[in-house]
Amino acid sequence: MNESLPAIRDEDERLRAFLTDSLALWQVAGTVQAGRAPVVAEIRAASGALVWVERAAGDTPFKWHARWRGSGDAPGGVRELRPRACGSLVGLLGAVRDALGVERGSAVRIVPAPEQA
Amino acid sequence: MIPVSVITGFLGSGKTTLLARLMLDPAMGRTAVIINEFGAIALDHDLIETSDESFVRLSNGCLCCNVRSDLTLTLGDLAARRAQGTVPRFERVVIETSGLADPAPILHALMTDSDLNGVYVLDGVITTVDVLIGLTTLEQHEESRRQVVVADRIVITKTDLDGVRTDAIKQRLMTVNPGAQVIEAVRGAIAPSALFDCGFYDVSGKHPDVSAWLAHDSIAATDGHEHHHTEDITSFCIVREEPLRAVTLALLLSALAENCGEDLLRMKGIVHVLEQPERPAVIHGVQHVYHAPVWLPRWPSADRRSRMVFIGRNIRESWVRGLIDLLDAEVAAENTKRTLVTEPLPIAGKG
Repeated sequence: MNESLPAIRDEDERLRAFLTDSLALWQVAGTVQAGRAPVVAEIRAASGALVWVERAAGDTPFKWHARWRGSGDAPGGVRELRPRACGSLVGLLGAVRDALGVERGSAVRIVPAPEQA
Repeated sequence: MIPVSVITGFLGSGKTTLLARLMLDPAMGRTAVIINEFGAIALDHDLIETSDESFVRLSNGCLCCNVRSDLTLTLGDLAARRAQGTVPRFERVVIETSGLADPAPILHALMTDSDLNGVYVLDGVITTVDVLIGLTTLEQHEESRRQVVVADRIVITKTDLDGVRTDAIKQRLMTVNPGAQVIEAVRGAIAPSALFDCGFYDVSGKHPDVSAWLAHDSIAATDGHEHHHTEDITSFCIVREEPLRAVTLALLLSALAENCGEDLLRMKGIVHVLEQPERPAVIHGVQHVYHAPVWLPRWPSADRRSRMVFIGRNIRESWVRGLIDLLDAEVAAENTKRTLVTEPLPIAGKG
């Protein structure tokens, strides 16, 4: 079990680097740093919003939990106490966007490809 | 299906001259032409000689602003008339946009409109750039940049003028859109084969030239890692040795669309999917619209690496690489977990 700890630490670093790039992509000013366990990443937006990301337990169908305190919210709100469970990184990104108030326009539209001749 | 090519380019960049020369080529004999002009008087129509009725002029505004009402109806009407035999049985459509058009809505209509799907297929985007003022136009006009970044072929025009050098404009175009082939035209003279059939759809029954579609030479020249940046537009190519899992690919397309939105101007690629090692998946997206992956019958060459080209605003290459790596690791871990759950426990004393 201990042998996998460095790997998990590496993955945590990669996640934080990725979330830092995500903030830049969404043009949100802020920082991402390691939080107090079990928090893997703590996002502090310049707007005052705070997001905490944790790994979900291995025996659940989820991968991540996200909690947040919106800009201007008082500590101890519902979203801070009751995490949103995310089944994948895609879901986690959606939760973080919601927490930070990021609007990226219409959702994906994947259309059928033309039949090959 | 009928391939549709879009010729775009800024005002005065030589679209009409190019089209007029192309239409003189016998290879363009069965081509329907749709011309859109921004202005009350349609002049371009008079500058192009055509011999049949497969010619439509749209002069009531900019095509990209009226794409649903005008282009969709026009293409639908053309297809109906073709079926009825009231227009010659054209085998290709060329749309010339106005100089101020954003091609993206036109591409969206061609990719997604249910009235057009099954009849037409987008072949490619050809963008003209004036060698004399192209650099300035790119710098000053967002419309020009948008036209260049969605191009599959970029035609540098007016190169026949004395003392003209194309080095600077070529370099700039390669920076803005490394996934496009850049071609020089002298008085619009270019063989149609250099501009058309540049899509990956096997419209004519021949094997699609995926490398040309991806402009693979430009990817190879940068070893897949070069990162270009100009103003707020970034473009980069990702080459990946390891196959991607099919679920990772689906999640990747969702994540790109949900997080990049309209900032991802164009992406295209050929992907080695773990579960289908002999059949590469071709992916293609414009802003938040993606085609479902197309599975080619076989690899077009011995190169079986995944290759993806991205052009967008404010999108870091490290973000896309991180996204792919994290998603693939997540899917791999999930597969491992499922395997452990479904495999029978070893029985003590056996094996």
